[in-house]
Amino acid sequence: MTLIMVVDDDQDLAEMLGIVLTGAGFEVDLVNRGDEVMDLFHAQPPDLVLLDVMLPGLTGIEVCREIRVESMVPIVMLTAKGDTHDVVLGLEAGADDYMVKPFIPSELVARIKTRLRRITAQNASGLKIGDIAIDQLAHSINRDGKVIPLTRLEFDLLVALAKEPGRVFTREALLSEVWGYRHATDTRLVNVHVQRLRSKVEQDPENPELIVTVRGVGYKAGVPGTSEQ
Amino acid sequence: MGAVQRWRSSLVWRVTGNSVLLSLGIIWLVGSALFSQISSGIFNEKLTNSLSDSQSSLRSIEVQLDITQFQNDAAVKKSVDQIMTVASISSNTAGREIALLHFPTKLPIATNYQRTSNLLSPNSVPNSLRQLVRKKGEQQWQRSDIHYLGGKVEQGIVVGSLLKIPRSGTYEVYFLYSLTSVDKTLTLIRNSLWFTGFALIFLIGLITWLVIRQVVIPVREAADIAEKLSAGDLGRRMEVHGENEIARLAISFNEMAVSMQQQISRLENLSRLQQRFVSDVSHELRTPLTTIRMASEVIYSSRKTFSGNISRSAELLLAQIDRFDSLLADLLEVSRFDAEAAVMVVEPVDVVTLLRRTVDYLHPSKERIIKVIAPKEPVIVEADSRRVERIFRNLITNALDHCEGKPIEITVVESEDAVAVGVRDYGVGFQERDSVRLFDRFWRADPSRARIRGGTGLGLSIALEDAKLHQGTLEAWGRLRRGANFVLTLPKVSGIEFSTHPISVIPEAELSTIVAPEDREEI
Repeated sequence: MTLIMVVDDDQDLAEMLGIVLTGAGFEVDLVNRGDEVMDLFHAQPPDLVLLDVMLPGLTGIEVCREIRVESMVPIVMLTAKGDTHDVVLGLEAGADDYMVKPFIPSELVARIKTRLRRITAQNASGLKIGDIAIDQLAHSINRDGKVIPLTRLEFDLLVALAKEPGRVFTREALLSEVWGYRHATDTRLVNVHVQRLRSKVEQDPENPELIVTVRGVGYKAGVPGTSEQ
Repeated sequence: MGAVQRWRSSLVWRVTGNSVLLSLGIIWLVGSALFSQISSGIFNEKLTNSLSDSQSSLRSIEVQLDITQFQNDAAVKKSVDQIMTVASISSNTAGREIALLHFPTKLPIATNYQRTSNLLSPNSVPNSLRQLVRKKGEQQWQRSDIHYLGGKVEQGIVVGSLLKIPRSGTYEVYFLYSLTSVDKTLTLIRNSLWFTGFALIFLIGLITWLVIRQVVIPVREAADIAEKLSAGDLGRRMEVHGENEIARLAISFNEMAVSMQQQISRLENLSRLQQRFVSDVSHELRTPLTTIRMASEVIYSSRKTFSGNISRSAELLLAQIDRFDSLLADLLEVSRFDAEAAVMVVEPVDVVTLLRRTVDYLHPSKERIIKVIAPKEPVIVEADSRRVERIFRNLITNALDHCEGKPIEITVVESEDAVAVGVRDYGVGFQERDSVRLFDRFWRADPSRARIRGGTGLGLSIALEDAKLHQGTLEAWGRLRRGANFVLTLPKVSGIEFSTHPISVIPEAELSTIVAPEDREEI
């Protein structure tokens, strides 16, 4: 059974989320305060965290940072604000995705399922991007045998780019492929995660060689040693 | 150019210039009056002296000749020679020459005593004076040039009388007084008048400049500060020196600035509070709305198990929650614009792809009424894709709402520095005078008309704000029952103003139907 931790200070909303998610076949843990998250997180490690931004005790963004210190579990922020500032802060703190209230339950469930799915290994071995080897079975990547920890979303993003080395992915294409959005244009999501991924896998994140920006279009997998920018 | 500019723009220069010009005129008048008075005074004195001197000299010559009259010609000649010698010698010191000229007569002359002192030319005595002397017989005078044989010419006064020389007859005797010393004096006076005049004018200019500066500098300072105040630097104040009128100006100016600042900050606070309130309300509404929405979705998803009325109610509930949701989102966006808190995320955006995707999203049905006319290659602008997409969405939604099933044309045209997107429909349109009010919040062309779709009434207003945020323009053209045309123009490079408008807001086909106002009256 998949366990989802719902963190929201509004008890009615939390309960309603519980009803919807239980209806969709998930198991749900409800938390109302930011500072109670980590205790329950340790007692019952969830498969995904739904995290409100405004929380008593600790803010959602602080909770997000704390979780990221010890876990790569998917985190979806729930925010009442669509403001760039809040969204970017949440994403930079380590959230994989966010949903702006009020959201449609079916969309929420779809988004959660996307975050939980595992890309089925087609050619389990041999996928590489530059000098980084991707092990799809173990869901991990390594450079010279040294494992680099990635969140599931970052892994999916890297795999999506590495699978088709020549293709230039528009941000929208990545949003639909990695995040499961259909008509989204919120490219901040892509930009922030590409930055985070670069900071983990690039030798020099300022001059990226593995994930290359194609001006006006999007991103593609780069070949190190050839400066394409 | 610079001087004229200075004259027009600077009070100091203008006042100084005016006072210099005026005093120049006055000093010129006073100076020339003074000079002519002085010169005529000096001349008259010289004349009086010359007349009395010639009178007394003539008398003494007559006395001398009287003494010698009973002697022979030689004695008379000697006496005349002596007189002339004395006159010659004294001429250098007294500035006086003497000429003894023969009275023209037909009688034979025994001895010709015609003489002049020094090198004086006899021509120095003008003929007109000689005739006058001969006619009247008494002392006459005239101004004339004194000619010397060496070619030297001096200005002078010539005084003439008749003299009877014994045993010889009547002669004319002329005393010529040089005016050189008078001229020298007058030149000196004229020069000092010039010098004094110029010095006065310079001093007057300087003083005016200094005085006017004293007045103008505080005024200029006030003007500078007023400019800064009007530019929004509300903390500016004038410095107060002393208790004069300028100080009073400064004090009341500062009081005005303080009360203005208070008013403005009061209004700013009010509007900030109001915007904050709207924003807070929108946010606070979101959490319960989320719960309501989820609850209604749960009810909606099992509506099949309900009876007809309850099932329909579940549908209506969900539809209205959708509407409420978009209204709330728009309100929040508007409050963000009002608070000037809207943030742009600028990146290169392909307008064509974005447009086609928006069209597909809004109008997925097969019978396409939207026709997109756009270049095949990407048209890249530096913009916030989320906002540009929202402008497209609002314009297309608006067109779909009002097209009455007729086709909609969307055109993309780029120029060197701008990209324009025109959305043209041939539906209900609007009256010409409404083309500005269209963008007002919650404005509706015909309040009594039933709404067709679920627009919030904020779409166009938000689209205009989004366009302005990009430093672009959003214009509208429309005629009743002939449709509407909305044109969005965005700069290609963010923040750079564009000069071209690739699409005119008035549709080309409509240009020919525009008639002059006079003609329209008759129709």
